[in-house]
Amino acid sequence: MFRLTTPSKLRKRGIIGMNHRNVVCIAQNNPRKLYPMVDNKLITKKLCKEAGIAAPKLIGTVKTQSNVRELEEFLKDDQAFVIKPAKGSGGKGILVITGRDGKNFLKPSGAVVTPADIRNHASSTISGLFSLGGAHDVAMIEELVEFDNAFDGFSYQGVPDIRIILYHGYPVMAMTRLSTKDSDGKANLHQGAVGLGIDITTGKALRAVQHGQMITHHPDTGKDLNTFAVPQWLDFITLASQCYDMTGLGYLGADVVLDAKKGPLILELNARPGLAIQMANGMGMKTRFDLVEKQLDTERNFQERVEFSMKHFGQ
Amino acid sequence: MKTKNQLRLIVLILVLLGGGAALYKYFVLGFSFTPDSRVKVWAIETKITFEPNKVDGEKLASVVKLNRAMNVENFSVIEERNIAKNYQFSSDQDKDGTHTLKWINSNTPAETQTIYYRVSAYRTDEDSTITTEAPPNTRALIIFEGADEEAAKIIVDQLKQQYHKKPVEMAKALASMMNIQESDSIRLLLNKSSEYGGIITLTSGLLNQAGIQARTVQALLLEDNARNRKLTTMLQVYKDGDWILLDPKTAQIKNEDDYLLWLVGNESLFEVVGAKRYTSNLTFSTNSSNVLASRASLGAGHKAGAMLIDFSIYSLPIAQQNTFKLLLLIPLGAFVVVVLRNLVGISTSGTFMPILIAMTFLETSLVWGLALFVVVVAVGLVLRSYLSHLNLLLVPRISAVLVFVIIIFVTISVLSIKLGFEAGLQVTIFPMIIISWTIERMSVLWEEEGPRDVFVQGGGSLFTAVIVYFVMSNPWLGHITYSFPELLLVLLATIILIGSYSGYRLSELRRFEPMTRED
Repeated sequence: MFRLTTPSKLRKRGIIGMNHRNVVCIAQNNPRKLYPMVDNKLITKKLCKEAGIAAPKLIGTVKTQSNVRELEEFLKDDQAFVIKPAKGSGGKGILVITGRDGKNFLKPSGAVVTPADIRNHASSTISGLFSLGGAHDVAMIEELVEFDNAFDGFSYQGVPDIRIILYHGYPVMAMTRLSTKDSDGKANLHQGAVGLGIDITTGKALRAVQHGQMITHHPDTGKDLNTFAVPQWLDFITLASQCYDMTGLGYLGADVVLDAKKGPLILELNARPGLAIQMANGMGMKTRFDLVEKQLDTERNFQERVEFSMKHFGQ
Repeated sequence: MKTKNQLRLIVLILVLLGGGAALYKYFVLGFSFTPDSRVKVWAIETKITFEPNKVDGEKLASVVKLNRAMNVENFSVIEERNIAKNYQFSSDQDKDGTHTLKWINSNTPAETQTIYYRVSAYRTDEDSTITTEAPPNTRALIIFEGADEEAAKIIVDQLKQQYHKKPVEMAKALASMMNIQESDSIRLLLNKSSEYGGIITLTSGLLNQAGIQARTVQALLLEDNARNRKLTTMLQVYKDGDWILLDPKTAQIKNEDDYLLWLVGNESLFEVVGAKRYTSNLTFSTNSSNVLASRASLGAGHKAGAMLIDFSIYSLPIAQQNTFKLLLLIPLGAFVVVVLRNLVGISTSGTFMPILIAMTFLETSLVWGLALFVVVVAVGLVLRSYLSHLNLLLVPRISAVLVFVIIIFVTISVLSIKLGFEAGLQVTIFPMIIISWTIERMSVLWEEEGPRDVFVQGGGSLFTAVIVYFVMSNPWLGHITYSFPELLLVLLATIILIGSYSGYRLSELRRFEPMTRED
């Protein structure tokens, strides 16, 4: 079972390792001063608004404890929304509300959330319960994404988002993470979620990997993973590519979701995207990065970059 | 690529500097790369402190006198140094041959005074048996009176009967009788031992009564890394032209070479004029290092150190030198962590936590350390899991975990005492704050990523700690880091190189292996 490969084989396939990611991809392309733009989701949201990049709308923010007291009055007309910490990580502290029951709120499961619970949650968020190192934080209230049913049955729980890796604004690789029973409904690949590679040209499934092994069907829903296809794919990668112009981060991961009415929306950006995407695509990113580096002397806008990527990075 | 060249240049300079200095010390100054095959040089440091009895506005002249060790003749002194600001130093020899060292300050300031006197020496003749010729027993016998006389007589008669003409055996027997307070007569005398100048003097007196030449000596045990030691009073018994050294506490013969004999009798070893009462204090530190025999004698001849030695760790007071022995090992631990994380790809909980845990293992021994660590962290995780429900803020949460950790420490200590295994007491050496953070991090990891990750990270941390432990406890590496601290620069260069290594980690050869299968 315990098989090792050789560095030369990995190199031949252009696979990028952790050290290369840290020393080259991140250290040389992502100046540290740019990090707050993506690490603080509130700043990301503002930038998106200024740049005209579609993202879930911000309803309001809770910055102080006095804001917490005004919360009930503020939310009286809202039916569905999400409260999340601006500096949270790993999906911690996200409260999803999908409906109302008089004064009370309802979670997707139907569980009742009282206004006091909401206040408590916001209060914990701003005092740093969910942020890294317990730093003071801001609770963001944003509108709930009305998920399109295009991805129904591909995930055990929740709705998958599309991760697109951009290298100097060129979409280089894409994948989606599908939760499984094994991963406890979480979209975390090393816990057993399915990683499904997406073709940059077509937006269709390339192959799917769980625990490092190729699979063809979702282990829990039984859905044929080969039928996965992202509708409005061009809009997806165009939107992602614009994020480079907005942030200036050379090595960037964009998480995009599909809203039934508004189309693709930027959910989150990541300045330190991981390497599992290579497994889901069955190939390394290095050759594509090299090709992009050769293009750096050529000025291209986001549409031209997308065009270039769709032409060269299909499989 | 400019930064890459800069990096190479820095690495090259560091390697040349560090390696060059080490080679110079090896070839020219005679330092040894191996810890054992050389002459053992002892550095013995005496430290005298006292509070001057200073009256405002008046000049105070203080005089410090110290007797020099008596068997110092067996040693060849490489270096003699005293660190005493504003003191005049002189050394006299009495008619009876005892050396007295004297420090005088005619205008002593009011603050605490500290005088260091250090001798670096090695034993010239290890097998020397003719240490002292037999002097006539000039010491006054203890005169016992009344009931004591009777008791002494019983003891002495018993000894004489059993150990006729066997002075060493007799001394050993008496010492153990005194230790276990064997008979009523011994208990009677022991109750009054302070009148006779202490138990050991009493023992020696009884031996004298039995016709044995015995005396007490004040000796310093030569130990590596010893700090703040006092002299121990020991017993010497004369037999066939030689004084045999006995430890009265264990009633065992001791090798005189392991001790520095300072003084015969109970007299005070040092004397301070001008100190407040009961404020003067004398402590010793000893330490050893290994130097090529020829170079040591060279040093003894010149007594002048080369620049590299003068400005090295060796110029620090010995107590500080001993601290540095451990400090210098920490970079090695950091290096192991760097290798395991960036070249092998082992994930640990907390970057340098394994080093601190390994340092604890150095104190507790590996097996006990591991067992205690696992117990403390496991119990901590169970207690911490309850805190999760309370949704506490970060700092109060960690503080609560810290309280848990202390409670666990106390419980383990008390339980281990009650159950009679003392290893459990060593739990208190563990760094509490680090353990608390480890528990906190692992608990968060458990909630977010599940138990598998906790075991991977916890196992990785312990594995790293064990490797670090073996590296830090290796005597050869210890010797190298201590004798050649300049090699730290070479280590630094290696760490910098690894820091810029962008190749694959060993773990990635496994992780990405499935991708290379289809061919």
